[in-house]
Amino acid sequence: MGVEVPDVKESFPQAIYTVTIGATPEDGGTRAKVVTVGGETALPFHTFEGEIPHPPVVAMEVWDVPGEDWPDVVREPFSEVMGDPGAWAVKCVEYGADLICLRLVGCDPNGADKSPEDAVQAVKRVLETVGVPLIIWGCGNPEKDNEVFPLVAEAVKGENCLLGTITQDNYKTLVAVATAYGHKLIAESPVDINIAKQVNILAMDAGFPLEKLVIYPSTGALGYGIEYVYSIMERTRLAGLGGDKLMAMPILCDIGKEVWGVKEARAPREEQPEWGDERLRGPLWEATTAYVYLMAGADILVMRHPEAVRATKAFIEKILGRQG
Amino acid sequence: MEPELTGTNLVRVTFRPDGKAVEVERGETLLSAAQAAGIPLVSICGGEGICGRCRVIVRGGKVEAAPTLHLSREEIKKGYVLACQARVLSDVEVEVPPESREGAAAAVDRDARGFLAPEAEARDTFAREPLVRKLYLELPPPTLEDNTGDQERLFREVRRRAEAPILQAGLKVLRGLPPLLRGAGWRVTVTLAQRGGTVELLQAEPGDRAREAYGVAVDVGTSTVVTHLMDLRTGKTLGAEARYNSQRAFGEEVTRRIIAAEREGLEKLQGAVVEDINGLIALLIEQAEVKLQDVLAVMCAGNTAMTHFLLGLPPGTLRKSPYVAAALAPPPVRAAEVGIRINPRGLLYVVPGIGGWVGGDVTAGLLATGLFRATEPFLFIDIGTNGEVVLGDGDWMVAASASAGPAFEGAGVTCGMRAARGAIHRVEFASGGVRYWTVGDEPPRGLCGSGIIDTVAGLFRAGYIDRSGRLDPDRPGVVEWHGELAFRLVPEGEGAREVVVTQRDIENVLRAKAAIYAAVSILLREMGLEPERIKQIYIAGAFGSHIDPENAVALGLVPDLPGAEITFVGNTSLAGAKLCLLSKDAFAEAERLARRVTYYDLINCPYYYEEFMAAKFLPHTDLSRFPTVVKTLRLGEPV
Repeated sequence: MGVEVPDVKESFPQAIYTVTIGATPEDGGTRAKVVTVGGETALPFHTFEGEIPHPPVVAMEVWDVPGEDWPDVVREPFSEVMGDPGAWAVKCVEYGADLICLRLVGCDPNGADKSPEDAVQAVKRVLETVGVPLIIWGCGNPEKDNEVFPLVAEAVKGENCLLGTITQDNYKTLVAVATAYGHKLIAESPVDINIAKQVNILAMDAGFPLEKLVIYPSTGALGYGIEYVYSIMERTRLAGLGGDKLMAMPILCDIGKEVWGVKEARAPREEQPEWGDERLRGPLWEATTAYVYLMAGADILVMRHPEAVRATKAFIEKILGRQG
Repeated sequence: MEPELTGTNLVRVTFRPDGKAVEVERGETLLSAAQAAGIPLVSICGGEGICGRCRVIVRGGKVEAAPTLHLSREEIKKGYVLACQARVLSDVEVEVPPESREGAAAAVDRDARGFLAPEAEARDTFAREPLVRKLYLELPPPTLEDNTGDQERLFREVRRRAEAPILQAGLKVLRGLPPLLRGAGWRVTVTLAQRGGTVELLQAEPGDRAREAYGVAVDVGTSTVVTHLMDLRTGKTLGAEARYNSQRAFGEEVTRRIIAAEREGLEKLQGAVVEDINGLIALLIEQAEVKLQDVLAVMCAGNTAMTHFLLGLPPGTLRKSPYVAAALAPPPVRAAEVGIRINPRGLLYVVPGIGGWVGGDVTAGLLATGLFRATEPFLFIDIGTNGEVVLGDGDWMVAASASAGPAFEGAGVTCGMRAARGAIHRVEFASGGVRYWTVGDEPPRGLCGSGIIDTVAGLFRAGYIDRSGRLDPDRPGVVEWHGELAFRLVPEGEGAREVVVTQRDIENVLRAKAAIYAAVSILLREMGLEPERIKQIYIAGAFGSHIDPENAVALGLVPDLPGAEITFVGNTSLAGAKLCLLSKDAFAEAERLARRVTYYDLINCPYYYEEFMAAKFLPHTDLSRFPTVVKTLRLGEPV
């Protein structure tokens, strides 16, 4: 008789909420397809322990203004379209984006200070040109976001967008408009598991359903505190699977913005000869960062470089056993 | 105004409305000028420009003010500066607005009734035999047959009446003895003081003066100093006085003061608190018509840093790892040696402390509540500037300290004050509006600790603030106040001062309660004690008034344990000090007790910050810990 190997598989009492973004004409929207994330009953890629019904997805970033501070490596694939969010979004879909993450950077009062009406125009442009669902991310200035989102959310009524972000300090307006116009929300916290939960509770107390939230626990680029974010994400996911309904949301990671801000991805070869070609290094840095967060439980990755996106999507397929 | 002095670097700073003036070096800050002039300016950060509380208005003369975010453009136009950030360039005249002034001009509070400590629970446990007492003796005059020395004759008589195997008298007493004994016809009153195992004969007086024996119990709090005058013979309390600790000018928090002591000299901090105590004693004896020379002993209870300042022990090691005290149980010393004015030979005792950050105030609390002989699991929470928590199960006791800040003592809050007359001590949010009660039923002047707890808990329960404490601007009474949101409890007018609770105040309160709750929760977890086993929760503190347990739980200050009885026990630091003063057995028990309690330093706890962050929410991020609050407020956590 052989030795019986004990079953060490883990099972969890609770599934992560299933969140669908976008709406087809049947559901009152105009999207050609919708994106669904969450629903997993096991740790990331542990298909042998539970269900992973919806693999992680990649959203690509589009701005309402040209990405002036994007390094050349990541500007080049978009160089012809950066002035037009619609064309930019089309490029992203060609590169394989599952969703578009439209960032309303231009609304920042310390930047171009575009009007809410301008923002609406940018959003509408993207809706017209692509059929994928939309994430709409504010400029980060609370007062301005509270001016912009009421108009934007109304303009995309019925499209079931993912809007963000709400924070502990600023959530009421976004919760109200997302409720009124039927959108989902990104709940942001500063790499703090307690605050992550607190933002969710605040949204819930304001009447927003927990199963319409996505957690954004803040993201760090590879080499910039990634292990800390990782542990926070892992604990969030373990709490959610373990039965904490206030933590059982899909998780979003804002990869591109972080990675393309660090010198390891940005620095040209002339400055750092020993680091090698930035055309390879930059996308690799972004993809590697993405892999790490996938392992930590990311459901939505917001990214920039087409090569990094391609590699990441291939990685997801491969690890789920759907491809060679 | 006088013309500017030339050729000298001294400039004159005049403070209005006090009219006090002081000469300082050109370039000094207004804050240090105020300290020199004895003007009690609020300074929470100790002069770092961080707290923005020491606002004053420059009415004339030139100052150089560093830029600050704490003042609006409008205020700057009106002449507002932060005293700690403004350097004097010429003779100046400065107005100190009421909000920048320490409560009641830091004058002695004539109504300290709010601070009357409860009669100690354990009072009957200990024989009433004060540490210092008087004994009237009639000595047989010497004869040829009985020709022993005067000292030996006196000692022989003392030993007949009292247990004093080791008895000592100072040289000064001995030198005065022969004329005294003979002049008094061998009828004298001696004062005996317990000093460890030794009894010291402090003094001898002619005739029977045994009735005139008094002592003072002092709670040396970080924010508040409370004194009670005791009749050592009858055990009666003859009077009570309290005031804010003048050391606050050096910073609200203990650590700031330790740094101030290192930078500016320990004697300044010692002098500040000693003068507070002297002032309070002077008032007490005047009112009770007691002679200073009959005040024989002072018993102080305070946190370890406060006793260091009081005794002039270097406090520096308390704030640096491994956080060691110079002495946890200092011996009794001559009060005069530290500058306390009572009988020149009178003694100063200190209730022994437990650890670097859990002091004799907690020992006193455990003694006064009788918890030192508890047989069941209990939780003792002393809410002060440093919140102390003791968890016990009958066999063991563990104590920890959490830096809560002075919010619950009425300081560090815009309209905070001590529980003096006019302090709002109770607030109720009802459907018809908000009701409040003041100390002495006088027009409201501000909020004391219990009023602050009631207000914030009430705002939460009534839905004026969300679970992170943020005020809802659409609620009645929520107004824009100096650039931030505030809840206006009392509008200005009708002889009343405006009383508001600002967004920042609420944040201070949440930080304070989170620090205390985190300490409770860490002790429970570290000791592996199931919270349900706790049957008694004692809450101590110098709030001045009873606090509503339901509000304390709703706030998340106190754990929500439906099976536990919450008892508010008031200022147990003082109650314990009184007990020690009146019974040497009690003092001996305090010494044993202080050694029995294990000190747990939260700095060793790797998850302190996380517990703290989780507790900063209302009532807590983890609602399963607050079942009653969830039920009564119908908080919407899905089940």
